[in-house]
Amino acid sequence: MADIDATGRSIREINQAVRCAIAEKAPGVTVKNPGARHNLAVAILGAGSIRIAGSVGYYCGGLGDGASIEIEGSAGWGLAESMLGGTVRVHGNAGSGAAAALRGGTVVIHGDAAARLGVSLKGGLVIVGGNCGYMAGFMAQKGTLIVCGDAGEAFADSMYATVCYVGGKADNLGTDAVVGVMEPGEVERLEETLCRYLPPALRKTKPRAASFKKVVSGRKLWNFDKREWKIWQEAL
Amino acid sequence: MPELQASGIFGAKVIEDIQSKAESGLYAIRGFGTLRERRWATFDDLTFLPCSLTRIPLEGYREKCSTKTVLGKRLAKKPIELDIPIMITGMSWGALSYNAKVALAKGAAAAGSSNTTGDGGMLRAERENSKTLIYEVLPSRYGINIHDMRMADAIELTIGQGAKPGTGGLLLGSKVSDRIAEQRDLPIGVDQRSAARHPDFLGPDDMIIKVEELREATDWQVPIFIKMGASRVYDDVKLAVKAGADVVVVDGMEGGTGASPAIFQEHTGIPTLAAVCEARAALQDIGVYGEVQLIIAGGIRDGVDAAKAMALGADACYIGTASLIALNCNKAIYEEDYRALGTAPHACHHCHTGRCPVGITTQDPELMKRLDIEAGAERVRNFLHVMTLELQMLARSCGKSDVHHLEPEDMAALTLEASAICNLPLVGTRKVFGR
Repeated sequence: MADIDATGRSIREINQAVRCAIAEKAPGVTVKNPGARHNLAVAILGAGSIRIAGSVGYYCGGLGDGASIEIEGSAGWGLAESMLGGTVRVHGNAGSGAAAALRGGTVVIHGDAAARLGVSLKGGLVIVGGNCGYMAGFMAQKGTLIVCGDAGEAFADSMYATVCYVGGKADNLGTDAVVGVMEPGEVERLEETLCRYLPPALRKTKPRAASFKKVVSGRKLWNFDKREWKIWQEAL
Repeated sequence: MPELQASGIFGAKVIEDIQSKAESGLYAIRGFGTLRERRWATFDDLTFLPCSLTRIPLEGYREKCSTKTVLGKRLAKKPIELDIPIMITGMSWGALSYNAKVALAKGAAAAGSSNTTGDGGMLRAERENSKTLIYEVLPSRYGINIHDMRMADAIELTIGQGAKPGTGGLLLGSKVSDRIAEQRDLPIGVDQRSAARHPDFLGPDDMIIKVEELREATDWQVPIFIKMGASRVYDDVKLAVKAGADVVVVDGMEGGTGASPAIFQEHTGIPTLAAVCEARAALQDIGVYGEVQLIIAGGIRDGVDAAKAMALGADACYIGTASLIALNCNKAIYEEDYRALGTAPHACHHCHTGRCPVGITTQDPELMKRLDIEAGAERVRNFLHVMTLELQMLARSCGKSDVHHLEPEDMAALTLEASAICNLPLVGTRKVFGR
């Protein structure tokens, strides 16, 4: 195990130390005293296990590919943005734009996620144990977005092919978002996913997969030449 | 027979526009750039004042006049070094065909210049054929890939584009082919709308953190450009510098696009001439002129425009539309196909349809074959070479041994507007109007 104390060190120094430890195949890296600093563990490439013992600022785990990052506090904006692969887990809450433009890998947030969760999602899996804020899933393209609690306003607005699941209230869907029908076996796969990624104690407190709503694109805004007057008026 | 009198307010084009909207229920989307008849000050409103008795020119065809261009000297460990200050701007694989992207890369490399990825990620063949490649990070983040980013020579964080500041791009379904859909993580055939703002930051304070992230992701090696559509240029340039840009790119309203609502191309942003003046003033006023480099874009057509932009304060210029024209855009070949689109050579702005008669703005494999990569690359190289020669000739005539030594006092204004905008004397008056 490699321990890196962030106290008094620049972000550049901290990230370089993390990368060195991973390159040297350390079995695990712990960043102590992160102090909610921005840009921690950015662009970590390749397999490796990183534990951050506290809260982080903006873009933690952003632009990464392959590492497993565990944040023992909460996270600021842009958590794991544009990540290609790997896993980022947050024990607390996440700020705006968590998993923005994610292309692959898995992001798990035990608590709540603020506005624009999974905006422009391009792939991968995002699971939120709590609620999410305004406009989650906006213009999401691919991948899966699971919210165990309530979805905020304008949920899943203007999506392409992302599939969303909401365990709590989803009363205020965004433009062109519709409630979908679970296909055979889909509830079981959802339950399996929740059990796999949420700690058992947390999973027990969340709704059963069978009670989740599926939300997908209504596909009525996919092409400009389709004149769905009502939905266009709602969009504008 | 009474004299026919058309309305000056509701002319033929306005009538057609209203009736088209009434019939289709759709606003107009098209490519290319503004089609308005010019009523604003442009580089054509300036003239050079070459040496006579007060100054001594360099030999126009012989004496050395450097065009070497270094960008990103402020914070990056590896600034980019180009042989010439004329670069190819970002145009996406998607908006452009594979052949067009590769031809631009090869042509730029042969001329000692750079090219830029665009809103769709990096094409591997583009990297392989580029000497210097700039990787754009746009609000949509289509195709974003850290491995590609780390292969780039510079990163360009794009906030906006001159043809459509304040809104995202479009790629209509006819161009979202299976390959483009895969690259952009989209369903095949959707009308793709790009986001107007970045998904993970909003204002300039957040952008400081974003720029730091990009530097961390690239080990602080390569320059970070910040590109904006020209609107409130004076203030925006200052904020870009505050955010940590090594290079600021300002794209004027004459800039092109593969597709956007026509109203944006016609009625948003400020002209390139005004933009370069505001940008220079901003850099000077905060004391970083020369430290932060300025690239100007938007309707640059030849070495003359480039020379005037540089004399006004730009360190380099981007070309987009002109490079496509070099590839044969709007050339009088395959004329039946222009007619099938309802247009003609020299008047085609149908990039959005994906039916480009000359194989540049299409994803149709058959149309794409009409653009031969090697021949296209040679035309791009030739065009960049000639632009550079034009730039050098003007610089030598003004007594400069380096094109970067061109300065405002090498020019005069031909119109009152240009005098006021550029802070240059109006010809024949020795007065700067508006001062």
